[in-house]
Amino acid sequence: MADGSVVLSVEDISITYTTQRGIVQAVSNVSFDLHAGETLALIGESGCGKSTIVLGLIGLLPKTGKITTGKVTYRRRDGRLIDVLGLNKEQMRQFLWNECSMVFQGALNSLNPVLKISSMIYDTARAHGMRADEAKKRALSLFEKVRLDPLRVFNSYPHELSGGMRQRVLLATALLLRPQVVIMDEPTTAVDILTQRSIIKVLKQLREELNFSVIFISHDLAVAAEIADTVATMYAGEIIEKGPVSEVFYRPRHAYTLGLLEAAPRLSTGAEELMSIPGSPPDLIDPPKGCKFHMRCRFVTDECKTTKPPLQASSPT
Amino acid sequence: MRKLIRSYTFRTVVQGLITIWAVMTFTFFLIRLMPGNPAQIKIDEYVDRYGMSEDQARQQVATLFNYDPDQPVFEQYVDYLSDLVRFDLGRSLTSTETPVAEQILRFLPWTLFSVGLALLVAFSLGVLVGLAMAYWRGGLLDNVMTVFASVIYAIPDYIIALLLIMVAGVQLKLIPVGELYGGSTQGIEPGFTVEYILDLLKHAFLPVFTYVLATIGGWMLTMKSSTISTLGEDYITVARARGLPERRLLTAYVGRNAMLPLMTRLAISIGFVVGGSAIIETLFLYPGLGRNLVLAIGLRDYTTMQGIFLVIAISVVVSNILADLLYGWLDPRVRLGGDKGTE
Amino acid sequence: MSTAQRAPLVELKHVDRFFRKGNATLKVLQDINLNVYPNEILCLVGESGCGKTTTGKIIAGLLNHSGGEVNVQGRPLASYSDRREKAHLRRTFQIVHQDPFASLNPSHTIAKILSFPLLRHKMVKNRTELAARLLELLELVDLTPPQDILNKYPHQLSGGQRQRVSIARALTVQPKLIVADEAVSMVDVSIRIGILKMLLRLKEELDIAIVFITHDLALAKYFAWQGRIAVMYLGRIVEIGRTPDVIGNPAHPYTRALLAAVPEADPDVTRAKEEMPLRSEDIPGLLNIPHGCAFHPRCPFFVPGLCDAEVPKLAVARGFNQEAACAPLELGLPLTTYAG
Ligand SMILES: Nc1ncnc2c1ncn2[C@@H]1O[C@H](COP(=O)(O)OP(=O)(O)O)[C@@H](O)[C@H]1O
Ligand SMILES: Nc1ncnc2c1ncn2[C@@H]1O[C@H](COP(=O)(O)OP(=O)(O)O)[C@@H](O)[C@H]1O
Ligand SMILES: [Mg+2]
Ligand SMILES: [Mg+2]
Repeated sequence: MADGSVVLSVEDISITYTTQRGIVQAVSNVSFDLHAGETLALIGESGCGKSTIVLGLIGLLPKTGKITTGKVTYRRRDGRLIDVLGLNKEQMRQFLWNECSMVFQGALNSLNPVLKISSMIYDTARAHGMRADEAKKRALSLFEKVRLDPLRVFNSYPHELSGGMRQRVLLATALLLRPQVVIMDEPTTAVDILTQRSIIKVLKQLREELNFSVIFISHDLAVAAEIADTVATMYAGEIIEKGPVSEVFYRPRHAYTLGLLEAAPRLSTGAEELMSIPGSPPDLIDPPKGCKFHMRCRFVTDECKTTKPPLQASSPT
Repeated sequence: MRKLIRSYTFRTVVQGLITIWAVMTFTFFLIRLMPGNPAQIKIDEYVDRYGMSEDQARQQVATLFNYDPDQPVFEQYVDYLSDLVRFDLGRSLTSTETPVAEQILRFLPWTLFSVGLALLVAFSLGVLVGLAMAYWRGGLLDNVMTVFASVIYAIPDYIIALLLIMVAGVQLKLIPVGELYGGSTQGIEPGFTVEYILDLLKHAFLPVFTYVLATIGGWMLTMKSSTISTLGEDYITVARARGLPERRLLTAYVGRNAMLPLMTRLAISIGFVVGGSAIIETLFLYPGLGRNLVLAIGLRDYTTMQGIFLVIAISVVVSNILADLLYGWLDPRVRLGGDKGTE
Repeated sequence: MSTAQRAPLVELKHVDRFFRKGNATLKVLQDINLNVYPNEILCLVGESGCGKTTTGKIIAGLLNHSGGEVNVQGRPLASYSDRREKAHLRRTFQIVHQDPFASLNPSHTIAKILSFPLLRHKMVKNRTELAARLLELLELVDLTPPQDILNKYPHQLSGGQRQRVSIARALTVQPKLIVADEAVSMVDVSIRIGILKMLLRLKEELDIAIVFITHDLALAKYFAWQGRIAVMYLGRIVEIGRTPDVIGNPAHPYTRALLAAVPEADPDVTRAKEEMPLRSEDIPGLLNIPHGCAFHPRCPFFVPGLCDAEVPKLAVARGFNQEAACAPLELGLPLTTYAG
């Protein structure tokens, strides 16, 4: 971790799940650096391992999941480096939310139905030694920032809020303890278009004001195009392409990224010709040799079937 | 006025009253369909036991009884109802002159105490163990307790009671069953003394222990499955991600949500506390309402039976209403006037 | 576009649909006027809860309407009284649901799932015909080689394949119209387009009409480019017209807001998009639908006294080819931002 602006560095991480059918190689040798203030979008179809990576990062993998290789280094504000995978249970508990928080997909189910929003805030604050009055002040100001009626929302139960409001509450809560990294797992999937727009808008604004880094997970290329600085495409547990957003979108170098872009409908064009990628993603219990995409790839050569290609820097050509 | 009629409280109360009336009417006619009547049973007894002639016995019984078996049933019903609206439950047919209400008040505390205590113990213990079983799923505790709970759940309470008497009492002589019959030991002065309270607990031990064993398996298993499904909820993962300590997680996040589905069951159980368990009380000669009911049924003591059934019906209805309130308190989603969400 | 000259398959006239919820009445659909013509593509778009599925079910004859008139192939629905006619109707209109997992019986093989309607409606005469028809159906939906698929169970197929089986099942009865309710929403991006292309091909080959329900405007635009789009808001159609008109030159403020909100898979375009701020972010519930135009509390172009007075009618405003229900637009007022 030479670069001083890197807050989170993931090196060569692999994660498996043990199932009755066998061992699922859910994530294979994934590496990336997250810089201060950067938004990194992890895109890819469902089942490609996006959620598994982040659950591994924050130690919340289910019991069947296991990190087999890799190293995750986090740089605190004071410059100290933390070996995240080496943290014990209590250290990890404190690391969560203080340094790295998360917004999950299901806004409807992410809040305990029997507790008021205020209790959720106080619980979170107490777990990390923040005083109650300070927590309330901070929560109210964050609610204001995400354009909620602060006091009303603070004293509400989750079911009294609409889906969009709940998602904004979760976003605000993620920033309660001023973490450097916020992980968002499909935060705008399953919400309506106008709600999605308001969440994107709020997120952009907050990012500007509070300058945190974001790992943004989405299967929706359009949302990634809108807010990412860097894009990493995942396929069958691997990052197969990574680069600045304009590079990846305008000069994709991997056939899969190209395929995704060609399959994404756009509003601004007139009649358009879209193409789908033939076949479906491979079984991760018995992944294919060589490039995992080769069976679906239109540029396939014999070499692809045997040799796994390395990830090469995507430099402007 | 319209608002009153449409109001939730009003509707609940009316519904409750109708239920109670229906149960009462049903039992009133049902018990009169049983073969024999109180007078005939007494006559038979006199004939059998004291060798009186049929006529003698009939005369004897007539002086004792203010019950006329030839009065049309519907007239009896109207009489009963008119007494009832004046809160008069009538007098016992067999031990004449004792008002039924007085009798009920005499036996009810024993039942409330023993069955209530058992429910409290079984529910709290069952919920705690069930929670722990689900939390450490697949562990030693879970495996042992699942087997235990399934077995104990399958055995009816009277078998448990008989087993206790036979094995622990007669065979192993671990428990002095004979000494523990009844509600308290004769001669100990009732009062707020340590001696009396200890004695009460001692005598209640067998029935309470039986009730607990008979019901705790059910609580454990339902709590376990409810907890397992709650543990799979997103908000638990999210709360973990927020770094909440496990204790807070287990109580306010897992426990409270997992308990919600048990509330209906709890309400039904509370309702039946009053009725007690007739068989258990009879087996242990415990002076509760259930045993009294069995005696009354044997003697065809219509008024006593009616009185007890009425009390049971009332308590079931009331506890259901209480459960609704409790549910509302535990689960804000069903609280009145909620649901502002648009999605 | 010869479709418009043919008599409509289904006509909804002033159709309402209410549901009771406790003591209240949910006005889920109000005054829906909609024709579905043979062999056309009609897209219903709108946010969740606006009544798309309900409309689709009424079109497919799976749900009764509470008010108004539904005509099927030129006759009122109520006039189809005898059982044979009703059964025939049910065959003419088919629905494909969002979740193929839920709609395919997990304990039956694909062959069984597809044979069942064929046998029940006596679409085949004997075993050999049945076998031939099964293979033909699977080939129609591009599940090749079909022999491999026939003996599989739904869980052995991928999501995309399952959805193709659902479509094949809808085709068993040779329908005239298919309602596809969010049919590709649960299918992955890379596979989606394949299914949509197949639907378009089937529409041409088999002369069917498709009512395509989606919340994804970009998808609607792609699929219905040759057809029409109806935009729904809180139980009413607020704009309807040919897709290039609605998408390229939206009339109703709600449609404009939706289009402005959709991000695009193109960083420069999506970041340069002009936003359209709404006056309120909360969607009113169906229990308290705002008076007048239901969108007025959120509309940036709100005209007090006009928009909140009466429910606007669908009409073609100057400068547009499609119909929209917006009072200021119909009066030819310029849409200016409300400053009150
Ligand atoms: N608890 C689990 N047990 C077994 N396999 C799992 C589990 N969770 C996820 N997987 C598998 O791991 C792969 C990656 O899943 P996931 O990380 O959820 O993907 P994504 O978030 O990209 O949709 C998938 O093939 C999925 O089937
Ligand atoms: N059977 C029903 N009973 C009560 N309300 C219903 C029923 N079906 C649909 N609704 C309500 O009607 C509204 C519209 O539903 P729907 O047509 O499914 O919308 P969409 O498909 O656009 O999301 C929703 O608010 C829904 O709650
Ligand atoms: Mg995921
Ligand atoms: Mg729907």
